[in-house]
Amino acid sequence: MAASLLQNPLKTPFSELSIKKQKPCFLKPRHLTITATHPQLQGRKLRAAVIGGGPAGSSAAEALASGGIETFLFERSPSTAKPCGGAIPLCMIDEFSIPLHLIDRHVTKMKIISPSNLTVDFGSKSLRAHEFIPMLRREVLDSFLRTRAQSAGAQLIPSLVTHLEIPSSPFSPYIVHHTINNSRKTLAVDLIIGADGANSKVAKFIKAGNYTCAIAFQERIRLPDEKMEYYQNLAEMYVGDDVSPDFYAWVFPKCDHVAVGTGTVCAKQDIKLYQRGIKERVKNKINGGKVIKVEAHPIPEHPRPIRVRGRVALVGDAAGYVTKCSGEGIYFAAKSGRMCGEAMVRASDGGESMISEDDLKREYLLEWDEKYLSTFRFLDLLQRVFYGSNAAREALVEVCGSEYVQRMTFDSYLYKKLAKGDRLEDLKMVLGTIGSLMRCKIVGRHMEALKL
Amino acid sequence: MSISMASFSPPPTSFSVKPHFTHKSTLFLPLKRPFLFVSTPKVLPDNGARGSASVAAVEDPKPKQPDPVLEEAVEGSSGPKGAATSSEVEVLGKFEDPRWIGGTWDLKQFQKHGSTDWDAVIDAEVRRRKWLQDNPETTSNDNPVVFDTSIIPWWAWMKRFHLPEAELVNGRAAMIGFFMAYLVDSLTGVGLVDQMGNFFCKTLLFVAVVGVLLIRKNEDFDNIKKLIEETTFYDKQWQATWQDDTNSKNN
Repeated sequence: MAASLLQNPLKTPFSELSIKKQKPCFLKPRHLTITATHPQLQGRKLRAAVIGGGPAGSSAAEALASGGIETFLFERSPSTAKPCGGAIPLCMIDEFSIPLHLIDRHVTKMKIISPSNLTVDFGSKSLRAHEFIPMLRREVLDSFLRTRAQSAGAQLIPSLVTHLEIPSSPFSPYIVHHTINNSRKTLAVDLIIGADGANSKVAKFIKAGNYTCAIAFQERIRLPDEKMEYYQNLAEMYVGDDVSPDFYAWVFPKCDHVAVGTGTVCAKQDIKLYQRGIKERVKNKINGGKVIKVEAHPIPEHPRPIRVRGRVALVGDAAGYVTKCSGEGIYFAAKSGRMCGEAMVRASDGGESMISEDDLKREYLLEWDEKYLSTFRFLDLLQRVFYGSNAAREALVEVCGSEYVQRMTFDSYLYKKLAKGDRLEDLKMVLGTIGSLMRCKIVGRHMEALKL
Repeated sequence: MSISMASFSPPPTSFSVKPHFTHKSTLFLPLKRPFLFVSTPKVLPDNGARGSASVAAVEDPKPKQPDPVLEEAVEGSSGPKGAATSSEVEVLGKFEDPRWIGGTWDLKQFQKHGSTDWDAVIDAEVRRRKWLQDNPETTSNDNPVVFDTSIIPWWAWMKRFHLPEAELVNGRAAMIGFFMAYLVDSLTGVGLVDQMGNFFCKTLLFVAVVGVLLIRKNEDFDNIKKLIEETTFYDKQWQATWQDDTNSKNN
């Protein structure tokens, strides 16, 4: 039985396959039956189009091309600088072999500041000597990943995709209509990976459904040298109703300037007000700086209702893989692109046979959900508990004062693994959190009662 | 009996904490506070010590401005290419209090009968946070705030906030308990001691105690329902892609 499972994974019903993997108990049992056998392609390899050449698209294209599938990477403007915080977790450097000279700054200190200006130093005691948060420029990272995808064998097509024709039979190709140099062209492919970001066209064509977005707004400010010295390797995070009603505001150092910004989901029309709020809060530290750029971008809040349809899969921002609470998306975009590309290679035996929607769901979606759903869930819980009101934010900053909390946070953020902690310390942390929440809630209640 | 009733008043568990948070978050969304552009002059909190007396030991030499100059307040920013610090709203004066020294409350000034008066510290902190909520202050590197609520010992919180509520809940529970015991006795003839021996009565008692803990006001019903919904909502969004198996096949 086990031998036949290995030889013909495509022919066995889903329920038997799942026994091999550790099925987490929160997933309801699913029934995917693969009824048709897939034909071998006669004399050609599978063709795949990756639409969108950011971290997600480039990683997907690299995985596909290295696996032996003929890959076309579409990117409409390869040289734009994307509005982004630019922070990546440490594990991404190893996992994606990112050369260290691309990193602009090594952030080793973080400050988190509460509405009442209680400041907690995050990292001075709890970061180990070799640990830091790398900050990069998106255009530098993106072009590196794209070049690497090209050297793996993907063909970069610098054009804008305008239309996607969905085929009627499970074996006919998808037709990608694109415009390059003012001339319209078409390309026939068997598989599509949609990695075109928050306003994904691919998602629209496959009717993947919508998601709520937060808006992130930031200004890049060039500071005088002595002010820039303060932000040498320090990033700041501000919470409070004056800077964001349901998210946080930040000051992140970049190559030779700082990015001061904020975000919100529910109050998008007031974003300028919140931006003013954060600039007021850091007024002394950015005094004399000049705004060199203003940018804004939507950030998805949760995954789309459909992430795989037919032989089209969504990855990265297009699928909605952005964590709540921290708004981190670069790592998950690159990782999902790579996992999807590898899934396609696996399911098609290196580009030899056609694959179906069920293959994609099993090899890509299931793996992804198993690996990261608990992380996303946990961050959603944190956001709901701690970002709801000023009292909760005060409690958050208080809780972050504990060295154990800081260590756990860094372990999970930098290495993307559920940090194994000491049971007793965990219990103390939970009790401390509940205590802080209760105390700050009491203070908050009395603040309400106080009429000025 | 009273001892066992007293033991049924644990501190508000996380159940009661969370509904208030989610309740508050939905309350605050429509009530966006116009925090900077209110045209009426802000009244300083009614603390006699904070008059026009000069404040000792405040390192930042910013003068207080009781009547803020707000005519220069502009709705939007003065153009994205302008300097980051434009001549906009004057800061309405920092929070100042003679007992707030070096970013924390000077506990020596809160002495009453030889020991610290924690209630006064709590009140002072409430006023400070309220002031800051309405007039957000610039952070400064030289004057960091280091006061957090964990400096106040747990028993001070307990004495002031938990015990009165516990007394109330226990009192209500005792009255209801006495009345229900009497009612059951008069209806069924089963005396109090025999009631305690009966499994059904014990279950009812358990349900009543749990109910009193979780549901203190009428709004708590809705809060708990909403909390359960919210907790599972994100998960539902993730599972949505698996739910639509049948729809996609008919596509």
